[in-house]
Amino acid sequence: MNVGFIGLGLMGRPMALHLEKAGHTLHLWARRPESLAPFAAVNAKTYATPAQVAANAEVVIVMVADAPDVEKVCLGADGLASGSKPGLVVVDMSTINPNAARSIGLRLAEKGIAFVDAPVSGGETGAINAALTIMVGGTPEAFEKVKPLLEKMGKSVTLIGASGAGQVAKACNQILTGVGVLAVAEAFSFAAKSGVDPAKVREALLGGFAYSKILENHGQRMLDRNFKPGFKAWMHQKDLRIVMEEAHRMGLMLPSAAATAQVFNAIVGSGMGENDSITALQLLEKMSTPDGK
Amino acid sequence: MKIGFIGFGTMGQPMAEHLLKAGQELRVWSRRVASADFAVALGAVRCESVQEVASGSEVVCTNVTGSADVEGLATELRSAFAPGAIHLDFSTIAPGAARMIAARHRECGVDFVDAPVSGGGTGARNATLAIMWGGREELAPRLAPIFSVLGKSAVRIGEAGAGQVAKACNQMILVNLIEACAEAAALANAAGIDFGLVREAMLGGSAGSRALEVFGGRMATREFMSPALVPGTVSPKGVPIVEARLHHKDYALLMDEATRIGAPLPVSVMVWQQLNALMAQGWGTQDTSSLLRVLETATRR
Repeated sequence: MNVGFIGLGLMGRPMALHLEKAGHTLHLWARRPESLAPFAAVNAKTYATPAQVAANAEVVIVMVADAPDVEKVCLGADGLASGSKPGLVVVDMSTINPNAARSIGLRLAEKGIAFVDAPVSGGETGAINAALTIMVGGTPEAFEKVKPLLEKMGKSVTLIGASGAGQVAKACNQILTGVGVLAVAEAFSFAAKSGVDPAKVREALLGGFAYSKILENHGQRMLDRNFKPGFKAWMHQKDLRIVMEEAHRMGLMLPSAAATAQVFNAIVGSGMGENDSITALQLLEKMSTPDGK
Repeated sequence: MKIGFIGFGTMGQPMAEHLLKAGQELRVWSRRVASADFAVALGAVRCESVQEVASGSEVVCTNVTGSADVEGLATELRSAFAPGAIHLDFSTIAPGAARMIAARHRECGVDFVDAPVSGGGTGARNATLAIMWGGREELAPRLAPIFSVLGKSAVRIGEAGAGQVAKACNQMILVNLIEACAEAAALANAAGIDFGLVREAMLGGSAGSRALEVFGGRMATREFMSPALVPGTVSPKGVPIVEARLHHKDYALLMDEATRIGAPLPVSVMVWQQLNALMAQGWGTQDTSSLLRVLETATRR
């Protein structure tokens, strides 16, 4: 299949390469030309605009940072919509506001383009190992068309519902992981300040109802004090901002997510945003350690 | 009226002084004998024990720090009170503790009145305290001569314990507002704007408050050390000085009460956590405007 791919960053590059390996022809555009370098030796064609990518592809996958980027690639000058052939399906795998996804979907539909939101969970490791969890929102027809492509990038591909539903699922994922990481960091801080070994606490709790993957994996990395990403804290902050924007729009009370979002604000404000989300533990430690003592 | 008085801290000392100067007969006792010397010099009768204070007084005022201190004194007083006596406690303690003491006193025919105050050391010195009390309504005429020389207002909130609930509300509003001021200051500072000017502009508007005036002022000038704690300084007129550790203590009380009765306090619970961090930073004996420094700690690089 002729597949367009826009957004060849940490996540997008390995994802696109999986598609190429599966025999698909890639059609690429990148804002920064150097992003195209890893594709010089493979079956890929490069273009000067997203519109040209759309003109040569049946499906275009977008993997960029935020809603304005998605909007620009899709609907901006020389965007996908201005060059598309009939029947084009755009798959946005970025994490953006669900309401923004719906709005972009509606505007693309007016131009005869199907839009599927398909954000992912699993991080860079998941992208490299083609082991992403992919949450999809869109029509069943569009989903069936892109499902074989998504299955080359992820190990779990689920149609959640109509346009925007994938982003809603991703937002739920970020509530659980954000609050979850903070919960583990708080439990470890509590144990340590009480003079109890957090490693022993983790070991004991793994067998009980408080077991979670976050306690197991993120918890271990906290104990190892390995704050390398993983999933960067500033991205978690961005995702929680989406959650809180939607909660505001819908009139929904999310006290824990709100508190967690503020912790991530502090992490980014103190210059720790490039660390993994588990850097929340360091923030808690800093808050409870007297200055310079 | 024969009045006993126990507890001569920042609040208790000026309060006892006002009563003596108003011509009341005071019977006093203090753990550290010297703390009551000023009262004896003003004509108070020194007692050798708490029981001795109780046996000779119609009303005994206590003004100490925690629930446990009040409970301890209450037990001793109860053993020596004559029936019909009143135990008038000005301390800020848990509403539950106040109710429990009241119930035990009642079995001995003694009344307990919880009468926490707002206004701080300055309010105590200037006799401008706001007194909020809980106890039997019939006691009002017997309490009036005491309240009238200590504060500018005394409102009966309800039965015993109700005064402490009112005080918890008072502290919750005040400290939540201080936190709001701290967050406004942090936002203004981060945006490169002079918070002093922001405060000045806001004081006349809808966001104007005593907290913004007093604590916001200290945030603007970064005077986090309580003037009361700096030798040779006096607090500006009408400015309550409270060490942050006391506000922190108050939050434990009000959160305990909220948990007991199942009242959700989503904002206050977050303010409480900021106070926990303040204590961890070692600023408990400094001004509560230090909440600004807690926010700054979070973004310290």
